[in-house]
Amino acid sequence: MARRKVYTPESDDVVISLRDVSKQYTKQAAAVTGANLEVREGEFVFVTGETGSGKSTLVKIIMHELKASSGEVNVLGYDLSRIGHGKIPRFRRNLGIVFQDFRLLKDRNVYENVAFAQRIIMVPSAQMKRNVLNMLDMVGMSDKYKRKVTQLSGGEQQRVALARALVNKPLILLADEPTGNLDADTAWEIMQLIDKVNRDYGTTVLVVTHDRSIVERMHKRVIEMKQGEIISDTPAKEEDIDEEEEIFEYQDVDADDLDNYDYDD
Amino acid sequence: MRIGTFFYTIGQGFKNLFRNKGYTLASIATISACLFLFGMFFSVLTNFRHIVLRAEQGVSVTAFFHEEQGVTEEQILQLKVAIEEREEVASVEYITADEAWETFSEDYLGEYKDGFLENPLEGDDHLVIYLADVSQQSELVSYLENLDIVREVNRSETVADMLSGANRLIFYASIIIIAVLLVVSLFLISNTIASGITSHQDEITIMKYIGATDFYVRAPYVFEGLIIGVLGSVIPLALTHYVYERAIEIISGKFSMLSGLLDFLPVESVFYYLIPVSIGMGVGLGFIGSMLSVRKHLNV
Ligand SMILES: Nc1ncnc2c1ncn2[C@@H]1O[C@H](COP(=O)(O)OP(=O)(O)OP(=O)(O)O)[C@@H](O)[C@H]1O
Ligand SMILES: [Mg+2]
Repeated sequence: MARRKVYTPESDDVVISLRDVSKQYTKQAAAVTGANLEVREGEFVFVTGETGSGKSTLVKIIMHELKASSGEVNVLGYDLSRIGHGKIPRFRRNLGIVFQDFRLLKDRNVYENVAFAQRIIMVPSAQMKRNVLNMLDMVGMSDKYKRKVTQLSGGEQQRVALARALVNKPLILLADEPTGNLDADTAWEIMQLIDKVNRDYGTTVLVVTHDRSIVERMHKRVIEMKQGEIISDTPAKEEDIDEEEEIFEYQDVDADDLDNYDYDD
Repeated sequence: MRIGTFFYTIGQGFKNLFRNKGYTLASIATISACLFLFGMFFSVLTNFRHIVLRAEQGVSVTAFFHEEQGVTEEQILQLKVAIEEREEVASVEYITADEAWETFSEDYLGEYKDGFLENPLEGDDHLVIYLADVSQQSELVSYLENLDIVREVNRSETVADMLSGANRLIFYASIIIIAVLLVVSLFLISNTIASGITSHQDEITIMKYIGATDFYVRAPYVFEGLIIGVLGSVIPLALTHYVYERAIEIISGKFSMLSGLLDFLPVESVFYYLIPVSIGMGVGLGFIGSMLSVRKHLNV
């Protein structure tokens, strides 16, 4: 079976590019105005800003849930202002999306919630089982794979949601306030997990967050928004040696294993 | 489509059916009612048509001739050929006065016929014309009346008109009622599917985020509609079959003296057409109903 042609970015390629992008829900106020942004492959980017500043709107434009009112949006080579309806599924398969409210399927267990994503892209069942269990292992949930998701803590639910977002090996992970419903410690754990994904798989990550302390501790690139505008873009700082070591402890999943999907149309 | 996807679709379709039991049952009930009525109409109609056709075959026009003015048998036989070529005519029979008297006296007079020395029907050689199309009887009659050699034409116009009129009335009435029921069941099916879609809106949204194709998202709902359609056609078929057999049994038992007139079609010959038509309508309704609601509610 022929492997589906997917966009494979060269190292340092721009994977998200916004040029003078605006979004107006109503005629009076714009949610996003004149946004310019470039995110390169493998980057980790925080988006912060006060409430109502347009962070979620920006994410929705990038994942093509919303169409920009004006400007050019290019994600992974897809021109989102001109993309046809039939091509949207193909585009979305390159994204992993995580939300503040987890959005798990409450009538299914942990395993089924993650397998759900693999079914959609039609992974053969034996391979699916391996991929799902690997990913649950990666997020630290493999021992609870039979649990109903309603019997999990918030942090555990977000881990499952993360596994679902990542099991299809997306090129970009978009997370809109993934720790917004979690206590400080759990929030930190989840953020470390996302960081690990960024390092281990080279997944480009864009995380919206309110959490100043996390942003300050992680030394990543930070984009700040205010009243729909991007008012600052601070590059990542050099990392300490300590953090580097901490991260290597997690390395227990073979990333190549997840690379053998057959895609079917 | 992968085999796994195929089973997923079927599994989800069945799950949806059971999750909205009330709606599902309402849809199946309506479509069943619709197709049951259709089945009854169809059975009555085909039987009625059958009976009418038989009656129409018996409808005839009789033409008598001016034999007292010297119209010959040859002329009559020539006319017979001409009439036979007309479209509305099924067959023409030439009956001589002698033959007519023979039949009549045998049927009604028995041994008394010997009391007649001469044929009282002398000069009543005639043509009996059987019609293929009863509705054109008056045209044939006026054609015959305008012929010089024709003395008299006997028609059975009122019977013919009544038959084809009643036929048409039943036909249109049943079409209208069935059409109304079709629309109602379409409405109910699409609402059933819509309620399933609404209760799965979260799931559908996530599926779209993950990159599910429209086909993948829609398939379980369309499949659900198809199941409703199939169940909604099989149930009334079974019911119609039972009612049909019982009805024939009862009618021919109670009205045995009419059995010659009421010649019902056997259940097989009615169902030979009714089964594929009903299932086709059920499946079609299920498909259209679910597509309507899928198109309306699944465009993310
Ligand atoms: N569907 C909508 N229709 C109209 N206005 C909207 C809609 N969604 C958001 N807005 C408005 O657009 C602006 C930006 O909203 P957005 O959700 O992007 O903010 P945010 O930065 O994510 O806020 P928060 O931190 O509270 O999540 C707000 O003023 C909001 O009221
Ligand atoms: Mg928001």
